[in-house]
Amino acid sequence: MATLNLNAINKSFGSAKVLHDISLAIEDKEFVVFVGPSGCGKSTLLRIIAGLEESTSGSIVIGGDDVSDAAPVDRGISMVFQSYALYPHLSVYENIAFPLRVQKMEKEEMDARVKRAAGILQLTEKLDLKPGQLSGGQRQRVAIGRSIVRNPKIFLFDEPLSNLDAALRGDMRVELSQLHSQLDATMVYVTHDQVEAMTMADRIVVLNGGQVEQFGTPMELYHHPASKFVAGFIGQPNMNFVPANVLDTSGALTVELDGGHKMTLPVDTTGVSKGDMVEVGIRPEHVKLAEDGLDITVNVLERLGGVSITYGTIGNGTRFCASLSGDAPIQQGKNMRLSVAPEDCHVFQSNGQVLRRKSAPALVA
Amino acid sequence: MMDRYTKLQLVGIYAALAVFLTFILLPFFEMFMASLRPLEHLFRSPYQFWSDDFSLQAYKDMWVTVPLLGRYIFNSIFIATSVTVITMVFVVPAAYAYARLEFPFKNMSLAIFLGVNMFTGAVLLIPLYRVLRTMGLLNTYWAMIVPGVAFLIPTGIWLLRSYLEKIPRELEEAAFVDGASRMYTLRRVVLPLAVPGLIVVSVAVFIGAYAQQFLFAITFNQTRELQPLPAGLFEFIGYQSVTWNEMMAAALVGVLPVMLIFLFLQKYLVAGLTAGAVKE
Repeated sequence: MATLNLNAINKSFGSAKVLHDISLAIEDKEFVVFVGPSGCGKSTLLRIIAGLEESTSGSIVIGGDDVSDAAPVDRGISMVFQSYALYPHLSVYENIAFPLRVQKMEKEEMDARVKRAAGILQLTEKLDLKPGQLSGGQRQRVAIGRSIVRNPKIFLFDEPLSNLDAALRGDMRVELSQLHSQLDATMVYVTHDQVEAMTMADRIVVLNGGQVEQFGTPMELYHHPASKFVAGFIGQPNMNFVPANVLDTSGALTVELDGGHKMTLPVDTTGVSKGDMVEVGIRPEHVKLAEDGLDITVNVLERLGGVSITYGTIGNGTRFCASLSGDAPIQQGKNMRLSVAPEDCHVFQSNGQVLRRKSAPALVA
Repeated sequence: MMDRYTKLQLVGIYAALAVFLTFILLPFFEMFMASLRPLEHLFRSPYQFWSDDFSLQAYKDMWVTVPLLGRYIFNSIFIATSVTVITMVFVVPAAYAYARLEFPFKNMSLAIFLGVNMFTGAVLLIPLYRVLRTMGLLNTYWAMIVPGVAFLIPTGIWLLRSYLEKIPRELEEAAFVDGASRMYTLRRVVLPLAVPGLIVVSVAVFIGAYAQQFLFAITFNQTRELQPLPAGLFEFIGYQSVTWNEMMAAALVGVLPVMLIFLFLQKYLVAGLTAGAVKE
């Protein structure tokens, strides 16, 4: 049993308020990712959960116990740091054994635990080496090894893959997902990389400016972003936002997009009226080449083989990115016409809030 | 990484090094030359660079002229070593506290330490004399050790603090998360990583202690048996003549052990100055 509840966490550094009333309920054995741009407070929040930083107000409950004032080790958490934080003068074995030495654990028990962790992480051959003799991925595994020997209730990861190169990052992502199912533990993971968030998380917390923008499964975030911020953050390439003028709000929402194209979109029109300005969010992967539709000037064309990514403009210079088939008959510098299904469009009010979509794809768990 | 120099730049660099080294080493060279000459040839005019009668006689005679010479050399090293050890005992925890902990008047007290460094011992000799007399420490080893420690602690704190600050904070946070206490972390994580820094600071303190003991010795100590070498060298200045050649020989012999230690520690010194610069 290791649920994690954050109740109205606030944090200020001097007069700068970095976290505003954060409340989250994280389930047992869940893999939750905190994602957001740098400076959004995600690392600070993780450090507050770890007990490295004190919250200005609010409480932290782990497995039903209020641990707000407890030392890190008494919270039942363990943490993997961005820089690995390995002790360079100690061998891999001693690095992994460090938390157990602190506890003054008996030698046989300690030895068994270190060996078991090394086995899980394929480090058995490396136990006598110093961290300096290991590759980046192996160092990362040692850091994870040190965090699992203590059998913590909750694992905390602070951008653990950001020091690795792209290929290795992909491998470690898979390994971490496997580790999660193997250990059956609650994990909280901080990253600024939305791909890591989408691929590993059971649920994602999107943080922006010290506030929770949205907390949901990856597919919820993709199909039902609560705000323009979440919509722009999740998905690769980023969603396009085209300014539009509201023409009609009876039943569905009829708008005229920048560039003159008119669309009727199946969204809840509560809160908007005729003449308002909204933004229509269109994902690059939801457009198709068509005879008629959005008129796009293609400025840059990237052919990746399987797909072609175009960067262009629509209407009065609004930037528009489209992801088309690999052999799409388009040329750089020319115009093209794109169609998009009305039910694939998202509509955001001027304050960034979304208008609920009436017909959305069924959620994939 | 490494800058490339043109031929001309290299010539300039070596010329500058040569001038610098000449300045530093010429006195030592002259000491050595003087120690080899018989006394009556020292003031020969015109100056002769090379004499036919170079000998090591002065190195033998000096032990007779000043019978306590061996004792003086021992005292010098003993006092400097004691000062270093005691200073480090105070400096290590203090530097760690300044590097990592927050406490009231932290910056102000650091500034005061720096201020103390600006006073030379000479300015404070008379007050120090009174203090030491009150405490009954005059004419003991302590008279030379205690003021030495007091004047070197600030330097040590400043040097070691900046070294400790370079050790990544995350290492300590990791240990903290794993339940290690501050003292455990200091012992198992921080100090092992700070060994090069500790050596650098110890050496700096040792040099300082060696250099400043003369002033304290001639002021606070009248006991011949306790004098360090710089004070002991005065005994070569007799009522009628000064045996310069023996004095130079004794000075060189006195410096020798220290030079040897430095020769062995050199690789640590170099390592100490670069370690921590590159993050693992």
